Amino acid sequence: MSGSTEFGTAAGSPAAVPAARTRGLRKVYRGTVAVDNVDLEVPTGAVLGMLGPNGSGKTTTIRMLLGLVTPTAGEVELLGRKLPEGAAESLPEVGALVEGPGFHPFLSGRENLLRAAAAEPHLSTSRIPAAVGAALERVGLAHAANRRFRGYSLGMKQRLGLAGALLVPRRLVVLDEPTNGLDPAGTREIRTIMADLHAAGTTVVVSSHLLAEVEATCTHVAVLNQGTVVAQGELADLLDAGSATLLVSTPEVEAAVDALRDHRIPARSLAEGIRVDLTATTAPEVVETLVKAGVPVHEVRRQRTGLEDLFARLTEDPVDAAELDPTSDPLVPQETR
Amino acid sequence: MTAALDEPRATARRAPLTRLLRSELRMVLRRPRTLIGLALLAMVPVVAGIGIAIATGSSSGESVGDGLASLVEGNGLLLPIFGLTMSMTMLLPLTGAMLAADALAGEAANGTLRGLLMAPVGRARLLAVKAFGVAAVSLFAVLLMAATGIVAGLLLLGGDGMLTSSGTTLSFGAGLGRVLLTVVLVTVQVWALAAVALAVSAWTEHPLIVVVVSLGVVIVSGVLSVIPALDWLTPALITTSWEAIPEVVKDPLPTATLLTGVLRAGCYILIGYSIALSRMLTRDG
Repeated sequence: MSGSTEFGTAAGSPAAVPAARTRGLRKVYRGTVAVDNVDLEVPTGAVLGMLGPNGSGKTTTIRMLLGLVTPTAGEVELLGRKLPEGAAESLPEVGALVEGPGFHPFLSGRENLLRAAAAEPHLSTSRIPAAVGAALERVGLAHAANRRFRGYSLGMKQRLGLAGALLVPRRLVVLDEPTNGLDPAGTREIRTIMADLHAAGTTVVVSSHLLAEVEATCTHVAVLNQGTVVAQGELADLLDAGSATLLVSTPEVEAAVDALRDHRIPARSLAEGIRVDLTATTAPEVVETLVKAGVPVHEVRRQRTGLEDLFARLTEDPVDAAELDPTSDPLVPQETR
Repeated sequence: MTAALDEPRATARRAPLTRLLRSELRMVLRRPRTLIGLALLAMVPVVAGIGIAIATGSSSGESVGDGLASLVEGNGLLLPIFGLTMSMTMLLPLTGAMLAADALAGEAANGTLRGLLMAPVGRARLLAVKAFGVAAVSLFAVLLMAATGIVAGLLLLGGDGMLTSSGTTLSFGAGLGRVLLTVVLVTVQVWALAAVALAVSAWTEHPLIVVVVSLGVVIVSGVLSVIPALDWLTPALITTSWEAIPEVVKDPLPTATLLTGVLRAGCYILIGYSIALSRMLTRDG
């Protein structure tokens, strides 16, 4: 099944309109603020990873994106149409797997998909059996299609949920923790499916707590913490924005650190070399300084801040930070305070 | 208004209603709970018929009981009516409540309601589909009971006409008509309780709560109806109509009483579905 849409052409220029956008989104459940002031933008064609600790508002935001939950305040635009008015037009082009797969335990995988397909506005009745078969094939469940959902393993249930999201070619696919309960092979398959969707031009929103997953598959990232978006943008930009460092391996650690300090370049000694902070300088400058000082340089490696570091910086210890300094910005790394 | 005739973009396309209704019906009838319930309900008139046949066979001349049951011996067509009115005290209301509980609360509990809302099936439309499923299957249950009742009655108790409680005898055809009338009256009352149950079902994710509240309504209503000081409340109670259903075997048919019962059920259906709709439109999926 290809991602080309036979009905996705008339929605205006796709690059200009983001696949999904929220403004000032807020949701209060019985006095508890679940999500507050969320301005999320999902560019068309992007694979956006939603990151955040448990309870940070990822699922609530996704549920509001899909019109399942009415926001307390703020607005949602899905495929260029405002919700809830535009839901009937935009939702058929959105496939989603939210809060685990929901199916009837007493029906087989195929029967469950047939039932889901019956509700799909963009699927003509004659095409339903073929679409269901193709979706089952795509997620690798064809062999277990006639077994009852009750007897499925967690991973198989997850796959069936994914099949439900892919019944019809979609313009946007939203996956909430898609790798939950999947073995490494299943996780790889999900990654392949996401890559296929991306290649076909489908926008993908995926929430996950597996940072390596997100780093491997996503083009964009939005980090949520305590109900608000604390950072969003292209993955590469966000990673570069973190404090970049240079790892220099040298046997003469002391001399190297001294030489750099003479030039006011901050550096710290490690076991087999030094780590240089690149905030105020560049890599060639560092190398030049070291070579001029006669320090043997064996290897120079630029160390990008991993998503894990970024995530930790954005989401850890907000309580401590607030206690230490009420004006502190959670975006500022802790070491700089 | 078929979907195919619509401009793809002019109006949002929707899944054909008949397809949704068929899918709903197929799903409800595949649910093991439903099938077991239907089988048990079908057995009720048969068991009652066997009981009456044994009782009349062993102690000839003695009546098996009071009211409708005493009429049933040798009067086969009364067995389905007896079975249905007897089941109206608990089994059929329970069936209606169970169907309504599974329709919304049950689907919400196992996450399938979310899928339907995201498809999307419009919320009002979804309620209509669910209401259809509950109504169709409860009608089917009542018809099934009537069918097994008629067969069991004619085989076990015999009789080629219907002896009414007023002492007159109706022809076989007229007797069959009374059975069908009972089917209609009982079904409408089950629908009334199911409407109340569906309203509760729209508010919760716990099917058990729906069943408990619905049976609570039945029991409280029954208790209130026997308190003389609360006589003024009787016309509003849902069970009042149920108690009038056995009058279907009187000879001139007490049309006014039976019609009042249907109207009362209609009020409950209207109120129940209004509450259910108002909740469905705002419910978080």
